[in-house]
Parts: sequence; C-alpha cells; structure tokens
Amino acid sequence: MTIIATYNIKGGVGKTSTAVNLAFLAAQSNYKTLIWDLDPQGASSYYFRIKPKVKGGSKALIAGDRDLDGLIKATDFENLDLLPADFSFRNLDLVLDERKKPTQRLKKLLAPLSEEYDYIFLDCPPNISLLSEAIFEASDLLLSPIIPTTLSLRTLEQLKKHIKDNKLKNIQLLPFFSMADRRKKMHREIIESLAEQHPDILQSIIPYASDIERMGLERQPLGSYINKSRSVEAYQSLWQELLAF
Amino acid sequence: MTENTNYFEIPANLTIKKFISKLSKQVDLQIISQQYTIKTFYDSFDWRLYSANMLCEHKHSQKNSELRLVNNKTGQLLSSMETEQVPDFSQLFTDESFRQLLSPELQMRALLPLCHLSYEAYLINILNKDQKTILRLQVDEYELLNNRLQLLPLKGYEKAHQKIAQLLQDKFNLLPSASCTVLNEALKHQGRKPQDYSSKLSIKLKPEMRADKASQLIYKHLLHAIHINEAGTIDDTDSEFLHDFRVAVRRTRAGLSQIKNTLPAEIVAKYASFFAWLGQITGPTRDLDVYLLSYPNYKEVLPESLQDDIAPLYDFLMQKQQQAHNELAEKLKSPEYTKQLLEWETYLKQSLPKKGSTTEANQTIQELADLRIWKVYQRVLKEGGAIEAGSPPEALHDLRKTCKKLRYLMEFFQDLYPAQDIKRAIKSLKGFQAILGDFQDYEIQELSIKQFSEEMMANLVASNTLLAMGVLVQYLDVMKCKARNHFSEQFTLFVEAENKAMFTQLFKHKA
Ligand SMILES: Nc1ncnc2c1ncn2[C@@H]1O[C@H](COP(=O)(O)OP(=O)(O)OP(=O)(O)O)[C@@H](O)[C@H]1O
Ligand SMILES: [Mg+2]
Repeated sequence: MTIIATYNIKGGVGKTSTAVNLAFLAAQSNYKTLIWDLDPQGASSYYFRIKPKVKGGSKALIAGDRDLDGLIKATDFENLDLLPADFSFRNLDLVLDERKKPTQRLKKLLAPLSEEYDYIFLDCPPNISLLSEAIFEASDLLLSPIIPTTLSLRTLEQLKKHIKDNKLKNIQLLPFFSMADRRKKMHREIIESLAEQHPDILQSIIPYASDIERMGLERQPLGSYINKSRSVEAYQSLWQELLAF
Repeated sequence: MTENTNYFEIPANLTIKKFISKLSKQVDLQIISQQYTIKTFYDSFDWRLYSANMLCEHKHSQKNSELRLVNNKTGQLLSSMETEQVPDFSQLFTDESFRQLLSPELQMRALLPLCHLSYEAYLINILNKDQKTILRLQVDEYELLNNRLQLLPLKGYEKAHQKIAQLLQDKFNLLPSASCTVLNEALKHQGRKPQDYSSKLSIKLKPEMRADKASQLIYKHLLHAIHINEAGTIDDTDSEFLHDFRVAVRRTRAGLSQIKNTLPAEIVAKYASFFAWLGQITGPTRDLDVYLLSYPNYKEVLPESLQDDIAPLYDFLMQKQQQAHNELAEKLKSPEYTKQLLEWETYLKQSLPKKGSTTEANQTIQELADLRIWKVYQRVLKEGGAIEAGSPPEALHDLRKTCKKLRYLMEFFQDLYPAQDIKRAIKSLKGFQAILGDFQDYEIQELSIKQFSEEMMANLVASNTLLAMGVLVQYLDVMKCKARNHFSEQFTLFVEAENKAMFTQLFKHKA
C-alpha cells in the first residue's frame, strides 16, 4: 500500500483535482484505490457525488470508535472507493490535539486498510497545522502542486525547510507544476528557472485547462467524461511518473 | 432478510421490458449496457470443480470474453481473466491464480464444456438524487430459462441494497433463488444433473434380491461405465477416461470370476474371454499414460544437472503413447468390439427365468456376498501370512490380485452392509493394497525404463539422457525396495485383532 498526499500550504492550487484524477487513473489500472477526503469543504466527496457526512464526525473518527472500513463508500468507478469528508473536520486539529501522539494518529488509523488497498490518496486542506503534520507522518509520497508564480517558489522552499526541520525522512516530496498557462510568458519563464533550481520537480506539467475546470459541473473525474485531451494526457503522464517512486 | 437475497428469479409472466419499465417508476435507473452473451459452464467429466464448490464459466459477448471461477455456494468471485479460448488442462493456464485454484482439483483431468446458455445481459445502475449509483443490477434474459436478477451491492450503500431487495420481493413478487447459478436449471434442460457421473461404484441392492438378478444389476452398472468412458477413451480427451474404462472392465472380469455361478457357464466363458481381451488391448496405452503422468516426478528426482537431459524420454513416451492409443482407438471402433459389447448388453437386458439356472443364482445376494467376501478375505490372510522377507515378487503380485478381488467384491456389495462399517473395512484394505500397488508399479516402471533406454539408444540419443535414465532406474529400484520393506508392517496392520473382528462380524457366514 502506498499513501499519497496531495498537499500544499496554499489553497486553490489543484490538490483536489490531482487527487481525484490520479486516483481514477490508479483504479483504472486495476489498483484497489481509496481517496480520503480530509478537507471539511468536501470537494473530492462532491466530485464523486458522495454525501460529505461521517457518522460521529471527527471525534469518533480520530478516536477510532468506528472502523475506517465501515465509513468507506464505493464510487461509481470500479476499484475506487472514497472516505467522505465531514463538516466537523474543520476542528480536526483540536480533536487531534487531545490525543497522546497526535501526529501518529492517521498512520495508525490507516494501517488496517493496507490489505485492501494498493493506493490511498489523501486530499488535504491547505495550510500547515497539526493535521498536516499527521499527514506527513502517514504518507509515503507528498505530491505538491505548484502554480508557476514567484510566490510559489517561497511556499515550496518553506515546505522543504519544514520537512528538513522536522526530520521527516520517510516521506518523499514530489512537487509538480499545476494550472500552468503556456499563454502566459511569466508561467513559461518561471517553469524554466524553477525547474533548474529544483531538479526534484516532476517533469509532467498539468496545464491550465477549461475541461479540468468543468469537473465541478460534471461531478466526475476528468477521464470519465473526456476520452482524449491534453489535460487527460497530462494526468496520465503524471501518474506514470509517480509509479516510478 | 435472508442472506441469499442477491439472487432472484423473475417469474415467467414478467418480461424484462415490463420489469424495467415497472422498476423505473419506483427508482431512478440507468441502463448501462445490454449485451447478447453466451455462457458456457466448464468442469471435468467427473465434476471435480463442482465437488470442490467451484463453478467455472466462460462468458462471451461482442465486447469481451471472460473466464470466471466462482464459489458456487456464495457466488464469490475467486478469479477471472480475459480469454477467448479456454485451455484444456489446468497446467496450460498462463494465469497463475487460475492454475493454483484449478490444478489441485482437476489434476490430470481435462476441462470440458458442460452446457451453453445464451441470454441478453443488462447492466443497470440505480441512482440517488445526486445521480450517484447506489446499487447495480444485473438482469439476464434467457431464451430457455426463467430470467434472473442479481443485485451487485456497493460498499457503503447497504441501506439502499436492503430497501431495493425488499421492494423486489414485495412489489415485484420476485423469488429469492437458492442458488447463485443457473447451472442446475441449464443441466435439467439436457436431462442431466450435477455429479451424474462418478468413477466410484454405488449400486443399490436389497439383501433379499435373487443373486442372479443382483449380479445382472452390477454388470449393467459396469457396462454403463464402459459406455460412458468410451468416447473420451477413443478421443484421448484425458487419461482418466481410459483409466475408468479399464477399471470397469476389470471389475466386470472380477464379477464374472468371483460372483460364482450366477450366470450360465457358457456365458461366463464367452464374456470372460472378451473382457480379458479388452483388458489386454487397453494395457499398453494405460502403462504409457502412467509414465507420462509420472514424468514430472521422474524429472524432479534427478540431480539438477541431469534434469534437462531427461526431456527426450518425454518425447519418446509421447510418441509411443500416441501410437499405442491409435491402435487402441482402432480396436474400439472395430465391429468385433461393438458387436460383442452389444451382445453383452442385450444379454443383460433379458429378463431372468422364473427360477435361476443354478443353486447359486437362487441364493439371496446377501448370502452370496457374505460367502464370497469371507472366502476371498480368508485367501488374502492365507497368502499374506505366507509371505516372508525372502518370498519372490510373484507372491506379492498374486496377493495384490487377490486383494483387488476382495476390494471389488466389497465395493459391489457396499449397499448390503452398514455404511460406516463397510467404509472402514474398505479403507483398511486400501492402505494395505497401496503398498502392493507401489511395489508392482515401481517394478514395472524400472523394467520399462530399462527397455526404453535400449530402444532410444538405437535412435542415437545423447549419452546424458541415458545417464539420467540410469539414475531414474536407480531411484525406482530404491522405491520398489522401500515398498517391499513396508509390506510386513502394512500387513500386520491389516490383520490386527480389531480389524479381523470387524471383517468376521461383517462377513462371516451366519449359516
Ligand atoms: N489545471 C486546471 N485548469 C483549470 N482549472 C483548474 C485546474 N486545476 C484545478 N482547477 C480549478 O481550480 C479550482 C481549485 O482547484 P482544486 O480544488 O483542485 O484545488 P485545491 O488545491 O484542492 O483547493 P483547496 O485548497 O480549496 O482545497 C477548482 O475550481 C478547479 O476546478
Ligand atoms: Mg481541495
């Protein structure tokens, strides 16, 4: 079982779109796949038309009162399940804080699922918090979308420093460009220079595209309503690149 | 809710069109696909998969061809793979999980198509108000059988599943079906039922039945086994057809010699010689089948450095087997064979005279069975008791033959004795027979391999192949001696007091 978190300190960078579309591709390649919607806004639950509701809310969940397995919902796609968000997840930090080893908590809750799933995607809310610490502990890969702007360089460096300071050795940070607009000169230039300074940035670039934006209307993963497009290919390429880790 | 509510039978008066239209008034549904499908069930001739609660079905439609292995009690999918062609033998599967599931059950038996069914397969999604699928239905519209519905529940949507299962029973009068498969119904159409063939004997006899009548019944059973294995033997579908064919022949011969005097002497003489001939013409092919079946073991016992060198032996055996089998097939297609077998069949169909032709024929079968089994049992004790460390191999071979006769008699007459007791008696004999069988098999194989090496030498085979065969002969000899050394131990077990008491109690003539 490989746990992949889509994470960035910043909001609106494409974390959810990435988690949803990659999970869909994993499932299509016959990997048993789960996506866990950890964001109280419930965006990935919404994309799969699944009610963002968890019995007992964040308290029961974190306490381990219920098996995670019993909360899982099948999506409309074979091999792909979802653990829905709940509005109470907005206080996940507080609930975690009441535990003895808060940062180990998610890892522990996920352990029993290792038999059942090949890939688990964690769709994370933005910003650094106790929850994100717990996510770092639980994940194998930290997939971080970066919009090619000057500001994002700073957030990437912040994240790297954080990982280093906290001696998070078991996690691999995988930044990639998201919502890249090739019509914008600035985007092209930043991609070029950033790729030079940070060779660890993945090769695949997710373009800014209206068909991706349309996911909110379609309420399904990209590959389920579009057969072939530049965006579909970009996600496929990103997925192939991930398989190497 | 019963646990089997995932499978329903749709009453004949409710067409699929009507059903779907009626259902669409109750729930939001979406027909995902409609496929003309042909389903073929597979099993070995003797139902090995069915006996292991497995169902092997090949589904073929324009879109895809899928082979599925399913638990036939629960409907749980054990494995599936895309394939147009179904391999004949488990070893020929490239898919590892199929091989692992099938091999222990099928062993040397071929996977054969049992029956075909054609149907229109509908896949239907039931949606909630967010247009999310909460349950899937598979509806199969058959040409010959009542239509079937299967619910395919989705994780996390158990309530929807239960609600709709209930709705289907209450509002649509669907009947939960006991079985997850239509196999039984499909077979019924062909006038068959599962497990309608087994190589095990099970003859229904009544103790007071007249002996000649009972023996007629036994021969009929055996003749049926000969008939039913004939085509597979001629085609060489797998080696078990010939094996079962030969067992039936041998049992018939044992009957003719052991169920003494119930048939007129001239009949016995005539058919004893016919069945002896059948035994003889089937022998060479069976022997070669045995070598071929043992081949993986032959290879395994060799030192690794010689394992590849034995391969020419396999080709040699294959060639010889094919030749022997062709000759056999010719004989089984000859008028000579057909005519005699038909005469035997006609003879067995004749009604018996009011009074049996001999004293023995007029006995009850119980009397005769007790007497014969007791007598042959005594012979086994005598022959076995006379065997010492220095006795010649022939003594063991004779004993093996006597044991076989005893075994066949006990199997013919099983029904006349308490089931548990006769089973135990047969089992105790079986253990003891096995060692005699091994002794004989290893001896014959040792001699044959030696002889083959001479024949192969004439074909200029590589010296390492002969070397490997030499090692093999050595191994077979060791195994033969091992069997010989175990004989007295096994015999002691067979004659121990408790076992003797059981035989006495069961068979000693109460007269
Ligand atoms: N490559 C893209 N091209 C165009 N629009 C995109 C692309 N990726 C995401 N979007 C749109 O941008 C918005 C934010 O994307 P998304 O929800 O994936 O980001 P996020 O990082 O998960 O946001 P949040 O921090 O709010 O959880 C959404 O409306 C989405 O449809
Ligand atoms: Mg998001």
